Amino acid sequence: MSDHNLAPTPGDRATTFFKRNDVRRTSVIFILWTATFTILGIWLYPKFMPRIMSKEMLSAENIMIWFTIISAPIAGIVLALATNAFLNMHRGDTPPEEGPAVRTNGPVVVIWTVASTIFALVAIVWGIVELNVQSVEAAATSKSAMIVEVTGSQWLWTFNYPEQGIETHQLNLPINRPVEFDIRSVDVNHSFWPVQLGVKVDANAMVTTVVRTTPNKLGEIDVKCAELCGILHAYMETTGAVMTEADFDSWVSQVQQSGASA
Amino acid sequence: MTTLVTEQHARPVPNPKKSLITKLNMGTGVILGALFAAITYYLIRHSLQTITDGAVDPLNPNQNDQLLIATMMAWSIGFLIGIGAFIGPFRWLIGRDLTAEEQLYLAGDGQGIKRYFKYCTDHKVVGIQYLVGVMTMLGVGGTMAMMIRTNLASPGSKFITPVVYNSLVGLHGITMIVAMIIVATGPFGNYIMPIMIGARDMAFPRLNALSWWVLFTAIPVLCSAWFLGGIPTGWTAYAPLSVQAGAGMDAFLMTIIIFAISTAVAGANITATVVTMRAKGMKWNRVPIFVIGSTISVALAIPAFPTFMLSMIMTGMDRSFNTTFFDAHMGGSGWLYAHLFWIMGHPEVYVILLPGVAALMEIAPVFVRKPLFSFNAAVLGFAGIAGLSVLVWAHHMYISGWANNLNGPFMITTEMISIPTGLIFLVLIGTLWRGKPWMKLPMLSVFAFIWNFLIGGITGIYLSDVPADNYLHGSMFVTAHFHFTLMGAALTGAIGGLAFWYPKMTGRMLNERAGYISFWFVQIGFNVLFFGMFVAGAEGQPRRVADYAHQFATSNLISTAGAYSVGIGMIVLLWAVIHSWRHGKIAPMNPWGSKTLEWTVPYPVPLENFDELPVITSDPYGYGKGK
Repeated sequence: MSDHNLAPTPGDRATTFFKRNDVRRTSVIFILWTATFTILGIWLYPKFMPRIMSKEMLSAENIMIWFTIISAPIAGIVLALATNAFLNMHRGDTPPEEGPAVRTNGPVVVIWTVASTIFALVAIVWGIVELNVQSVEAAATSKSAMIVEVTGSQWLWTFNYPEQGIETHQLNLPINRPVEFDIRSVDVNHSFWPVQLGVKVDANAMVTTVVRTTPNKLGEIDVKCAELCGILHAYMETTGAVMTEADFDSWVSQVQQSGASA
Repeated sequence: MTTLVTEQHARPVPNPKKSLITKLNMGTGVILGALFAAITYYLIRHSLQTITDGAVDPLNPNQNDQLLIATMMAWSIGFLIGIGAFIGPFRWLIGRDLTAEEQLYLAGDGQGIKRYFKYCTDHKVVGIQYLVGVMTMLGVGGTMAMMIRTNLASPGSKFITPVVYNSLVGLHGITMIVAMIIVATGPFGNYIMPIMIGARDMAFPRLNALSWWVLFTAIPVLCSAWFLGGIPTGWTAYAPLSVQAGAGMDAFLMTIIIFAISTAVAGANITATVVTMRAKGMKWNRVPIFVIGSTISVALAIPAFPTFMLSMIMTGMDRSFNTTFFDAHMGGSGWLYAHLFWIMGHPEVYVILLPGVAALMEIAPVFVRKPLFSFNAAVLGFAGIAGLSVLVWAHHMYISGWANNLNGPFMITTEMISIPTGLIFLVLIGTLWRGKPWMKLPMLSVFAFIWNFLIGGITGIYLSDVPADNYLHGSMFVTAHFHFTLMGAALTGAIGGLAFWYPKMTGRMLNERAGYISFWFVQIGFNVLFFGMFVAGAEGQPRRVADYAHQFATSNLISTAGAYSVGIGMIVLLWAVIHSWRHGKIAPMNPWGSKTLEWTVPYPVPLENFDELPVITSDPYGYGKGK
């Protein structure tokens, strides 16, 4: 920069750009916002989401965490520029002085568009891969899967285990055994949602919808209805558990006996 | 010039004494509408024999629905006849038209406050009618939201019963959706936009009046739903729940049918106006961005809403004539309904969003005193969103089970919307960059929008990904997400637009202090409210529930606290709007120093807006030094 008649080289321009006060301040704010969103993603969902009891649930939670982290820099840029402008505010009853007449900036528009395209592609590829993994796995386990026929009615879930010959309103499942839910409704639409298993599918009249999962942790499950189905929609819920093979068998025989005695 | 102005003011109030149109107004409309409704009700009731017995005729079990739908139709038609909407078309039938004097009378010049209650063709009158209508609807819908949140403040609450709760959820939903669709294009699209493009009025002034008064007839119909057992299905009105529901459903579907007619009329009118009536020299790249955004929005509504109307006609037929379009037991399909609904439903959210965003893009350059950053990117963003939005509807049906193999393709189109959405952010932050924003009320909305829409956008990315949606679908998380986009983004944009254009529409400045108080109450409350709801959804609380388990108690209590803050803020805003209308500081012609055309006309804006039509030589964003 010794001779100001010379046009600055690209390297010079970048250096002077980052030495500008507003750019420095914006960069600091950018780092703060990016960090905030990253931390928010890492902390928020694991803290509040229910226990992970299947691969599907793990995949849902991972998407929420990782997509927050990936979008943190983009959120950081947007919010840094907005915050910087906010801090530069002009108050009073007369308008501020005119700003620089920048109408557009070709490289910025191109870089921004490319960056958001890459971001969208990451999200798309991630989703497609996950979907594929899940369907391949479901296909592989479809023969060995235990079948549970789920019937939604206003406002009750009924579970029929054809293999075991029992019918209950409680969803108990053995651990590490693939399970296939065959879901129907006898009246209006419901949506079968075993919360901790991370799967969900609508119950429709006259059609059987299928969803598969493999519970891989022991513990309680909440079963809810996720589609408004009338007056008592809020109360169309039940519980169940993922249990060891032995516990499950003894539960089955218990139900069989009480069914036989009744 | 001066002589021209004096001439205009000296123009006598037209008084075509013998003409029928001078005697018609909202009152005659209501009377004739009620009369039509009553006659239809009694005629049909007496022709259907069993209905008086209270017994159900096995051959025609749905007489009540037939009766109600016909009565509501009769009300709507009767009202429109009574207010004189069909006088023009009738004259055409007999080979004549309204006389010039009658047309001038319909424009309402010099008729004071009375013209707001008449079939008035002046676009500025229609704009004010829409503004008052929208604010009323938002007030009613907001009150319902307060009742919903009050009931959800604690688990096991007995504030309202589940029956009332479900009705409220449906009524809140549809009231807000209708209000939000017209919140920016109604008041500002009608009042401001024709002036902005340098036109004397809309392309079809009589259709303009028709669009408002048709919409008006939907209001009593929607209100009647409350007395007919509510809308227990949510505003999505999924079949077969909607076929099972009580008579309130008939009111719901008639509301939608009437509303769809109104938006079709308004959409065609606004599009035609912008395409054909721009001032000389206003090439497409010189059109203000608000006009572009609103036009794309209404153009998107033109193909979208007819499918909603169609789905409602089919629901009505299922309900009243035992057809089985959506009854799976008889060969129909509930999925058919879901498709028809969401083919409207997903473009519809962008119909709501775009005018709000466009208003903020209009505001930002004025208050930052910089040109709009990359006009082309803004147009591409709007066009990209509109184009993609018709290809994404089935992301609402990922978990419905209708075709799992199509979840992938719909996920791709949905994720791609983040690219044009990114351009919208770029335009706003690019405009802000290196500027010193003038912190007036409209500008604050720009900042609130950026934050809210960012949160809405990021959470939308999770929801668009099928494996995450498997968990989140139908939960409170979804509710929080779309409130961030529709309320946090679109309504914030519309409120910014109101603060911006208020001086031109009322001649007075909006009370600033009340505006600031309202802004912070609303925005902080809003974020608390829906942050709590995001957490409740992540924890696993389904949406549209009247009650919930104890584990969700904290997040729901936080949400309710936030909701009350929003409520207080909105009441303050309402007070400010009403109070300033009469007692506010008199506004100068161009209080913000904007360069768009609406600020070149005085208040009250004269009939036909301009003495002399302007000629445009540049776009309206020539701010800044060092051009």
